[in-house]
Amino acid sequence: MNSTSILPGKHIVFTDFDGTEGILVDLNTKKYYQLNETAMLVWKGLEQGKTVDEIVGQVTTEYEISLDHAKRSVEKLLGNFQSYKLVTSE
Amino acid sequence: MIHSETAFTNDYGPQRLTIELVNICNLHCSYCFRAEDALYNSKPEFLSVPVLRKVLSDAKRVAGTTRVIFTGGEPTLHPEFETVLSAVAESGMKSSFVTNGWHFERVWPAIAAHRDSVTHVAFSLDGITREENDRWRGGGSFDRLVRAFARCHFSSLPFAIKVVVRRDNSDQLEQIAIFAARMGANALHFVHTMPTSAEIDNTSLALDERRLVEEEVAVLSRIFKMNVAIDVGYYNIDAQPPCSPLAGTSMNIDYRGRLSLCCNLSGFRNGTDETDVVADLNVEPFVEAHQKMQDLSLAQHQKRINRLATMQAEGVTPDLFTGSPCLFCLHSFTKVPWHNSTDTEEPGIRSLPVFNSIH
Ligand code: SF4
Ligand code: SF4
Repeated sequence: MNSTSILPGKHIVFTDFDGTEGILVDLNTKKYYQLNETAMLVWKGLEQGKTVDEIVGQVTTEYEISLDHAKRSVEKLLGNFQSYKLVTSE
Repeated sequence: MIHSETAFTNDYGPQRLTIELVNICNLHCSYCFRAEDALYNSKPEFLSVPVLRKVLSDAKRVAGTTRVIFTGGEPTLHPEFETVLSAVAESGMKSSFVTNGWHFERVWPAIAAHRDSVTHVAFSLDGITREENDRWRGGGSFDRLVRAFARCHFSSLPFAIKVVVRRDNSDQLEQIAIFAARMGANALHFVHTMPTSAEIDNTSLALDERRLVEEEVAVLSRIFKMNVAIDVGYYNIDAQPPCSPLAGTSMNIDYRGRLSLCCNLSGFRNGTDETDVVADLNVEPFVEAHQKMQDLSLAQHQKRINRLATMQAEGVTPDLFTGSPCLFCLHSFTKVPWHNSTDTEEPGIRSLPVFNSIH
């Protein structure tokens, strides 16, 4: 997974619901996706153009978990985003 | 629940007020029927909260009003929007509002704080893609609407989508309905364009084209679980009152605190008369204003019934400006001075009393 090439799809509308939950709307499929707190953090990181390493670092800090654990979580989330075609890889 | 009236049950819904909170709007939709001067060239005017409180209390006592629908302009531009929602909640009534959705994120905390009294929100939409919608409503409108839909959907706040049917989208009603259903809308209300000038009048759908739209909406209403309907401007020569204002169950208050017949007529773009306004509630007692309104409502309905009866006796089928209750009103109240037609259509066009007004 190339850490610098994943960007939110232009066809996605993101709503920060209450700071702990987010909603994505895919304008191509007209489907909703609910994001939990960690997924929100990753999505916001992608929006801000952060690298995967930077996002992993943030998850490690915010949730006080090990680097390995954070890395696995973030990569799993990115895999989900990719499989649902919510992000683009360049 | 989002209330929809039907001609078959003669259910005009609860006693209610439509209230224009403001004269201004942040968008510039070319088909808008509010006067351009009020929207963009006059100083912003906001219905005062003390007047609102008094109107709510009087309307509840005198007319048995239980619901309020806020419109504008854009109602969320009222600087005391939260206090407005509070005033309704404190009166024991329920509220809803029609919005272009631009400021929805900003007013969401106020709505969330009054979730018990806000029954639903109606959003106006012009297309089901960014390009189609924002062509009419300006860049960024579509994304803001989609965010608002998401927020409502995941907060279980019922919402309706309102779409003006024009020539460019009249063949996309099914796609629009699928989009609305996917977004989780509880209702989809189509609206015919209002004739705000000779130019708009000429580019609007003709009677036969409108009839096709109305038939398609009737089909969609049977297919979809959500309420799909068309507002009262559709062709309907039924003798029953076609809408809540003419049935005496709803009235309009404009942003100046004046009582008028219907939000569709109030401040009408390029209209030359205001005979639909019966009283200034800043100075006149509600009880007298209400009586004047009932008289006006009855007289207007009777006027149309008489016109339809005359046409029937003469064996002619009513033209669009008689067959459509709203167009008949616009004509009667001198809102469309450029339109003097009393033409009639060839017999054979049938009435489609499928839906009535949805407020
Ligand atoms: S959003 Fe509504 S009030 Fe504003 S310009 Fe458009 S139609 Fe008129
Ligand atoms: S314009 Fe007339 S017919 Fe149309 S909803 Fe208003 S009162 Fe009824």
